[in-house]
Amino acid sequence: MGKRAAIIGTGQTNHCSSREDVNEMELVYEAATAALKDAEMTIKDIDAVVLANMELFEGRALPDMWCGEGAGAFMKHAFKISTGGTSGTSGAISGYYHVASGLFDRVMVVGFEKHSEGDASGGMALTDPFWDRHIAAAAIGNFALSVSAYMADRGVTEEQSAKVAVKARRNACNNPHAHLQMPDLTVKEVLESPILAYPVHRLEMCPQSDGACAIIFASEEIAKKRCPRPAWVRAAVTRHDHIYLGEVKNRLSTMRSLREAAKAAYEIVGIKEPLKEFDVAEIYDPLTYAEIAWYEALGFCKDGEGGMLIDGGVTQMDGELPVNPSGGVISTNPVGASGTIRVAEGALQIHGRGGKRQVPDVNLALVTGYGVYCWSDVLILSSKPY
Amino acid sequence: MRREVQQEELLRVPVHMKLHYRFPAGAHYERFFKEMKETGRIMGVRCPECRRVLVPPRPVCGECFARTEEWVQVGPKGTVVAYTSICFSFIDLTTGKPRPIPYGAGLIQLDGAYSAINHILEEGDPGKLYIGMRVEAVLKEKREGNIGDILYFKGIEE
Ligand SMILES: [Zn+2]
Repeated sequence: MGKRAAIIGTGQTNHCSSREDVNEMELVYEAATAALKDAEMTIKDIDAVVLANMELFEGRALPDMWCGEGAGAFMKHAFKISTGGTSGTSGAISGYYHVASGLFDRVMVVGFEKHSEGDASGGMALTDPFWDRHIAAAAIGNFALSVSAYMADRGVTEEQSAKVAVKARRNACNNPHAHLQMPDLTVKEVLESPILAYPVHRLEMCPQSDGACAIIFASEEIAKKRCPRPAWVRAAVTRHDHIYLGEVKNRLSTMRSLREAAKAAYEIVGIKEPLKEFDVAEIYDPLTYAEIAWYEALGFCKDGEGGMLIDGGVTQMDGELPVNPSGGVISTNPVGASGTIRVAEGALQIHGRGGKRQVPDVNLALVTGYGVYCWSDVLILSSKPY
Repeated sequence: MRREVQQEELLRVPVHMKLHYRFPAGAHYERFFKEMKETGRIMGVRCPECRRVLVPPRPVCGECFARTEEWVQVGPKGTVVAYTSICFSFIDLTTGKPRPIPYGAGLIQLDGAYSAINHILEEGDPGKLYIGMRVEAVLKEKREGNIGDILYFKGIEE
């Protein structure tokens, strides 16, 4: 077990489909300065900087070089994490490791993506040249393949999936940073939106956003001094599964990497009944069906009961376990930042700085990240250091 | 924090790139593609420890971290374990042109293989596709030694 570490500040840009008013470095600077302000720090206080980005989407190598100065990395210990969708959570986990190692006291993590600059589908397609490129159909094609198997296996319905989209876009209205805010969205509208890949409708998928998010981790001594209610990192676990889609059979039904990461994290903290014990969850939901599958993989319910959780309103803002008060990835998706945003939103809930999306009395928050089609990160944040 | 600007006032620097790469296949993939090109056979490798037959035939079993050596013929028949119908335009990376939509795609577990492969299905109507559907690989006449030598999988009666 490492030394105690906590999140003491977070900052985000306003995420949207195109931030053409700034370049990527300015975008990163916006998030970094917002986090420093939140932590009441200046860049001089920061010992190390971790950047998280899904490089190929903007078609620019070395994003840590072009954006590092915007994150205050000049003449500091700095490097980059790039693990697809998990980049943002893995970056945060790296920030935590830095402090938990005892070698650094104040570490800033900045996740960022500017989808509008490049070609995300093209970036997604630059996969294995021997097997995948002939038939690649971006994230949506990969997901749709798994959804058919998941629906057949667990009996999840289109209506249940659409309810997740409605929940997400309505929650997003309480989040001033969210990209897709749709207060009046209905199940009918979701199911009438065009099918991208059967059975997935456009409004069931995440958008592509421009945005950045920064988090500041601090050692125990500094966290206690500087933050009235630090978000202590109690567990941080990463798991990677096989590389080929076809080998991760029944992917949404089993979601082995998420199941294993959650199991390990729950064991560290002593979580027995996640639905009861967590006060809020910010999970990486790339599409509606995945959110329902993650309920099962994360042990919120038994396998096959995920659809019932959304039917019963259990994961709504006023339910037993609010899931994604921020609106989630379905509402906001600057990929390299999407995981960082989950961690920031979890920390925000413990800090009590959630504004209109604040869940009352949050002491324990669950955060997840999801990358490629089979990588998972799980973090548990707490108002108590142990 | 957003700077107020008119769309037409924005300075953008457009970049179009043509890049060239070449990827050595390695001994295992080379054998797989040569075998399919020359004989039309689809081959997998068996892990000496867990005994799973892997397709694609990876030189190392990820679960056991063991070298794979034993070749096993699989398919050409198989079973659909997941399917979709792609309805949005996506660039076919081998031609640089959008693939005509809609088209069927599936995860196909070849007979004798543990893992499934993702590939194109001849049937593109999701109402006619189902999990457990039996299919068979349709190969190109003039094969080139890549996964495109399998044109698609077609439904079969058994
Ligand atoms: Zn093995």
